[in-house]
Amino acid sequence: MIDTFHYFLMAWVDPHLLLLTALGTLGGIYIGAIPGLSVTMAVSILISFTFAWDINDALALMVGIYVGGVYGGSRTAILLNIPGAPSAVTTAFDGYPLAQRGEAGRAIGLSTVMSVIGGILGTVILAGTAPWLADMALEFAPRDYFLIAVLGLLLVSTLSGKSLARGIFSVALGAAIGLVGMDMVTAQPRLTMGNMQLLGGIHYVVVMIGLFGVAEAFYQLHNLNKVPVKQKVDKIIPPLKMVLKFLPLSMRSGIIGVVVGALPGTGGDIASLFAYDHAKRSVKNPKVPFGEGAYEGLVAPETANNAAVGGAYVPMLTLGMPGDAVTAVIIGALVIHGLNPGPMLMIETPHIFWFTVGNLVLANVFLLIFGLTGIKIFTRVVEVPKAILIPLILVLCVVGTYSINSNMTEVYWMLGFGLFGYWLKVFGFQMGPIILGVILGPLIDNTYRQAMSSVGDSGGQFLLDLVTNPLSLVLTSVIVLVLLGQTPAKAWFNGKLKRQA
Amino acid sequence: MFHSALKTLTIPMAVALATMSLSGQALAEYPERNITGTIQWGAGGATDNIARSLTPHVEEALDTSVILTNRPGGTGVIGMNYVMTQRPDGYNLLYGAENPQLYRLMGLADFGYDDMHTINIIGQGLVVIAAPADSPFDNLAELLEYAHQNPGELRMGGTGAGGLPSTVHAMINAVDELDVRTVTFGGDGPGMTAMLGDHIDFMPLSLAAVGEQIRSGKMKGLAVLTTEEIDALPGVPPITEALPDIDTFLPWGPFWGVFVREETPDDIKQRLEDAYETAVDSEQFQQFLANFGAEPLNLNGEDAQQYLDNWQSVTGWSMFEAGSVKVSPEELGIPRPGAAAE
Amino acid sequence: MNDNRERVKPGEKVFDWLLLLFSGGLLYEASRIDGILPSLNSPGSFPVGLAVIMIVASLIILFSHRYKRRDPELTTAGDEFKAFLAEHFQPHIIVFSVFSIAYLVAISWLSFYISTFIFLAIMFMYYRGGKVVSSLVISGVSIAIIYVLFTLVFRVYLP
Repeated sequence: MIDTFHYFLMAWVDPHLLLLTALGTLGGIYIGAIPGLSVTMAVSILISFTFAWDINDALALMVGIYVGGVYGGSRTAILLNIPGAPSAVTTAFDGYPLAQRGEAGRAIGLSTVMSVIGGILGTVILAGTAPWLADMALEFAPRDYFLIAVLGLLLVSTLSGKSLARGIFSVALGAAIGLVGMDMVTAQPRLTMGNMQLLGGIHYVVVMIGLFGVAEAFYQLHNLNKVPVKQKVDKIIPPLKMVLKFLPLSMRSGIIGVVVGALPGTGGDIASLFAYDHAKRSVKNPKVPFGEGAYEGLVAPETANNAAVGGAYVPMLTLGMPGDAVTAVIIGALVIHGLNPGPMLMIETPHIFWFTVGNLVLANVFLLIFGLTGIKIFTRVVEVPKAILIPLILVLCVVGTYSINSNMTEVYWMLGFGLFGYWLKVFGFQMGPIILGVILGPLIDNTYRQAMSSVGDSGGQFLLDLVTNPLSLVLTSVIVLVLLGQTPAKAWFNGKLKRQA
Repeated sequence: MFHSALKTLTIPMAVALATMSLSGQALAEYPERNITGTIQWGAGGATDNIARSLTPHVEEALDTSVILTNRPGGTGVIGMNYVMTQRPDGYNLLYGAENPQLYRLMGLADFGYDDMHTINIIGQGLVVIAAPADSPFDNLAELLEYAHQNPGELRMGGTGAGGLPSTVHAMINAVDELDVRTVTFGGDGPGMTAMLGDHIDFMPLSLAAVGEQIRSGKMKGLAVLTTEEIDALPGVPPITEALPDIDTFLPWGPFWGVFVREETPDDIKQRLEDAYETAVDSEQFQQFLANFGAEPLNLNGEDAQQYLDNWQSVTGWSMFEAGSVKVSPEELGIPRPGAAAE
Repeated sequence: MNDNRERVKPGEKVFDWLLLLFSGGLLYEASRIDGILPSLNSPGSFPVGLAVIMIVASLIILFSHRYKRRDPELTTAGDEFKAFLAEHFQPHIIVFSVFSIAYLVAISWLSFYISTFIFLAIMFMYYRGGKVVSSLVISGVSIAIIYVLFTLVFRVYLP
């Protein structure tokens, strides 16, 4: 017990570790904010960089970058409508309208506080229930991941605005984009039009940067000479009353975040989508409608994606299995430093577990400090004249895209998606469903085929499993309930009830 | 310890500054600027881990920075294609795994390691056929017997055509019959997670990936792809116990290497070969390999070529005999295993 | 006749027809994987399914135009075409599109930093109506920030 406490506080009392965590968190915020620079990339660069360091030093820096990076994505999402990372896509839906109303400062302040609440909640759940949560996550068979992805697809009605047909078209388009490349099972090229560059697929961040960043830049050209909105910078730190008001929602979103994060096949991007959908379904009368700058639309995804960090550590620390791409790289770092990440990690080197937990809490404290300072300078970005901002956005998109895989072809694709996205936007299509398709499409395809292969390609057995396995049955029921709740079936059912009454 | 941290921060910067000022004087000494190392697999994978722990030693030997970039995708085709289209000046290296040796055979690409110059074959991994801890089978022989009686029922974890499990499966099928349902995952990690949850029955995996799981009792090893029991996994029988005929294909395992374009000037090739030989030989890296579950090889020149040819012939022919590939290795000029010795 | 019905934007019908055409093309591309009717569990099953969904969705979108009407001022297809051009082919949108593409091409020819500097300088000058000196200064500062951040700190190799 004393040991536990000692390891937990290790990073808090050692000035070196304290400084490294702070540096990591600060750096992470900027890495996260720049589209194309990802936490995964930063952490893997750090591996060779921190090669000769003490393992604790390296871990402290990595935890800081991870926590800061997941949060940082919200900055550009709010200020420029370009999510810095996939997990901040939903943050842009309501964050950007807030910035356009002159509330960028408030939006950043609120998302900082909520991110910290989510981060700490995630860490507490990690510390308290890690072994149990990991066992639960293992129960998820391929068919359950398939059901989760299908459940995610139902968000399309939430995201598609006025026209459901356009939303469905966009989801299918996004999924098709996500499937481009070499097939995972047979290694056949799919939808590549014979182009070898496309064998590796189209990275979803390329699509994201194009559809959000470039398309937005073109769209803004219409009001080039409009004077930028003056930002209110006096109310940045959200009052306690406001935080308390949203606390129940953020707790629920946080739990969604941890669970989705702990599943080894899903991460912060999917967690934030679920949380946004949950907010939209559970908050009946927001002051401002969702999509036009509702605080609730900011609170839910921001709590969830930071809570997912704690979740992603669950399978990593208990089983040695990565919860997402970042923890996969951190496992690599442990290996290089001579540790053996696996089920024995918690038994043989318990200090790694408690050191990480303590460090996560510490990084969240730094996140609160760094997140709430310097907002005023950040919000000035929105006040930069469009004539300067728009060309800079394009350059940023180019650099960001190139940084992903150092591939010029992807930069052309990014611009192509930008122009295509502009026209889609002009004619009433939403960007959200396309990204939803890009993220979930490959997951559905993979998990469906894994599930089918597991039952020897028997469609009947596949359907039977969906309703006979307890976990699958729960997920199937949720899907059916959501479907009944949002389709004409509900209207028909309500009408029937009324007639009977 | 913070001091050492600061030191590693400043060294690359100092090196970068030094190389910048030197390049102005037009020194012809290679390397006069940073070298780019392209890793053909994603961050966090085995190739990535090996590349990133070897490179600091190389930087020391070459006195320059090697900037590593992951270019994953298409079973490594993307990354390799990138390096092959760069200038052959020795400033673009490829860190690759075994897969390119099968590109032509599987029709994935019309190039392979024959089209590049091998700087170093770093090491070779050991392969274990693993099963969940509560599996009814204790060794491969029991599993094979069950599979013979119930064909097409067991679920094997795979990583797609050309991946390690499919190659091992082909080898077994070349000497015996193993009819199973293949469930394909995006990599070792997701496959092992599914195995921990009992969603698949067995999976051939690299020792580096699965060693810890077996040691902790969460999984059990059914067979090691060797002719003798290994120290790292006591009690796990060698595969030849269940399948003596598979002997012709052994020793076999995934390998990792560093490559440059064939057209690179000879003195630069020599400089790189020397640097990598020293780096792989360093005590710290050797220790890493042992801990990682890999066998050090450190081959270059004629030895490396011989290793690559042998690997290709063994793997290619076993896959052909098992019916996993349609093109005959003969058509591509790949001799049968052991043919060279005859 | 009331005017509450939704307006069709100029060019919208043509765009939606193009989407249908695109979906058709996708179906053709998907059918090349495993044929037009792949089995339940094959690489082609999802792509074909998605293409079919897209075709159906775009047909529904086209059908929905029957319940919308054109702006009363736009009576002929010619008028609509003019309105379309006026809205989306304003000089500064065309200039930006052309220069963005030229910029990407230039990156492979010149280097990243040189072409970015030229692109930024030209765009700033064009949109800000002259102001040569300040535009050059802002471009220079931006390049410096990108250099420090990407090349020095994150060691991203830029072309």
